[in-house]
Amino acid sequence: MLVPRKVKHRKQHAPKRAGASKGGTHVTFGDYGIQALEPAYVTNRQIESARIAINRHVRRGAKVWINIFPDRPLTKKPAETRMGSGKGSPEHWIANVKPGRVMFEMSYPNQPVAFEALRRAIHKLPMKCRIVTREGGDF
Amino acid sequence: MAEVRLAAEPRTEFGKGAARRTRRAGKIPAVLYGHGTDPQHVSLPAREFARVVREQGNNAILRLEVGAGANQLALTKTVTVHPLRQYIEHVDLLLVRRGEKVVVDVPVVVTGDPAPGTLVTQDMGHLQVEADALQIPEEFEISVQDYQMGTRVLAGEVTLPRGVELQTDPEYLVVNVSAAPTEADLEAEIDTEGAGVVEDAAEDETPAPAGEQHEAAEGSDQS
Repeated sequence: MLVPRKVKHRKQHAPKRAGASKGGTHVTFGDYGIQALEPAYVTNRQIESARIAINRHVRRGAKVWINIFPDRPLTKKPAETRMGSGKGSPEHWIANVKPGRVMFEMSYPNQPVAFEALRRAIHKLPMKCRIVTREGGDF
Repeated sequence: MAEVRLAAEPRTEFGKGAARRTRRAGKIPAVLYGHGTDPQHVSLPAREFARVVREQGNNAILRLEVGAGANQLALTKTVTVHPLRQYIEHVDLLLVRRGEKVVVDVPVVVTGDPAPGTLVTQDMGHLQVEADALQIPEEFEISVQDYQMGTRVLAGEVTLPRGVELQTDPEYLVVNVSAAPTEADLEAEIDTEGAGVVEDAAEDETPAPAGEQHEAAEGSDQS
């Protein structure tokens, strides 16, 4: 699972979720990709789960790129704890994803199979997404 | 590439409010520049321009009729597309003349089926070339039919039409044919990455500085 190797501070403020993605909004490495349509915190478990969903569906012959990295820690206080006593302990590693970001990309010769793999991966992610292609959108 | 006639209107008001009004009216704000002239701010019909980009790509030659002035030949320099709503927000147009050489990005298309058990990765989607403004190739086709594992196509190996010069570094990799990862490879990758989680997590739990521990202790005393 994706985790930073070394961090400067164990606990950070929760990242801002406002606005749209400033970059990484196009498919650049593969042929197809998953684009976020809503802001969300994507945990490293969700990223791993989506990656496995793609790999298990195509079985062989695909290349997958993960364009996001869970570099922000989220803390949580233990259950049934009174308020105070400082900030909770790091619980999750998350990627702060904003609308428009292409999170996963893949190359695979068979388009219907690739789309089905990406559709399965979308179900593992915590926001509305759509499948985009390298050629661009319909305008 | 064929010329496309488009009627453009000069724009007199600027800024985001005016640009939004232009878009609401079914037009696209655009700017026309080149040859050392002052930039002209124009608006293009949104549907017609979108159809041109969709059917002929970004390198279509436009014959613009700006107001009552003379026709001007222009090439699309940049098309800004909204990443979420996928409509054209703005267009940069470059003035060109007949016989002038221009530097443009031409898309690369991979066709054919490689040998079984291989995976084709396209590392470059476009090649930058210098060509006559009115004879820009629509695309460069690279056939990977029966290519074996380990085959690499560099930018310098792509066949170009006469009169077209490559501007991209000829050593850049365009298409790479590698061994397709097998099911066992994918499963092995999952296992090793899963196994590393606990160790990585333990390493990250660096002890808190002494001051922080002291604060935490004080907080628990108060509660």
